Amino acid sequence: MSDLSAQLYQVLLRATPEQVWEAITSPDRTRLYFHGAHVENTAEWHTSRGPDGADWGDGPVWEFDPPRRLVHEWRSAYDPELAKEPPSRVTWEIEDVGDGSCRLTVVHDRLGDSPGTAGSVSGEGWGSVLDGLARLLEQVSAP
Amino acid sequence: MDDDRIFKALADPTRRMLLDRLFERDGRTLGDLEAGVEMTRFGVMKHLRVLEEAGLVVTRRNGREKLHFLNPVPIRRIHDRWIDKYTEGPASFLAGLQRAFEEEEARE
Repeated sequence: MSDLSAQLYQVLLRATPEQVWEAITSPDRTRLYFHGAHVENTAEWHTSRGPDGADWGDGPVWEFDPPRRLVHEWRSAYDPELAKEPPSRVTWEIEDVGDGSCRLTVVHDRLGDSPGTAGSVSGEGWGSVLDGLARLLEQVSAP
Repeated sequence: MDDDRIFKALADPTRRMLLDRLFERDGRTLGDLEAGVEMTRFGVMKHLRVLEEAGLVVTRRNGREKLHFLNPVPIRRIHDRWIDKYTEGPASFLAGLQRAFEEEEARE
């Protein structure tokens, strides 16, 4: 049985830290790669809404250090069963590696009591979001 | 995170075993990973470094511990680029066969 209570994903992105920060904090960008979600992250609050405006999960932002580090609560309001599980935590870290690229690390943890959420975000979940983000940023920064 | 490094990293049975152990339980220390492996600590460290350079393993500090995490993104990329492309043919051929059988059964 695979343990998914803490999950890590890392991608190399052809973009500046500022571009990545904008891509993960502004709803006009996230809707293009985050399963259509309009995600807004301010210094205080994380909000995720579906294309129709439905609540997909919101919660406090614990760390907001542009363009380097963002930590917020995660609630799976996009699914009625998963919404009953306790909230978890998502950490975004952006690290400049030079050559106009940066490394993005996403850690989704505190999932020990939320097995449904852990299963739904693992592999394909975060994998396809970060894949989509990488493709989007390649288009944006293409000469 | 280039493809050559990923394939090289995956081309060794010990390294594949280390990835499997991280898949079973993520966020392990070196001491935890070397238990049950018939190899010196130095040998395990060398293999972990190759996995790290390929982007397949990422380490993070948690207090005094250094934890090793499996990063599934490069494997997914390899899968999309090298596996999906070549299995699409046979898979759709099998799906076609399946449909043909079902239609035949429906006729009988």
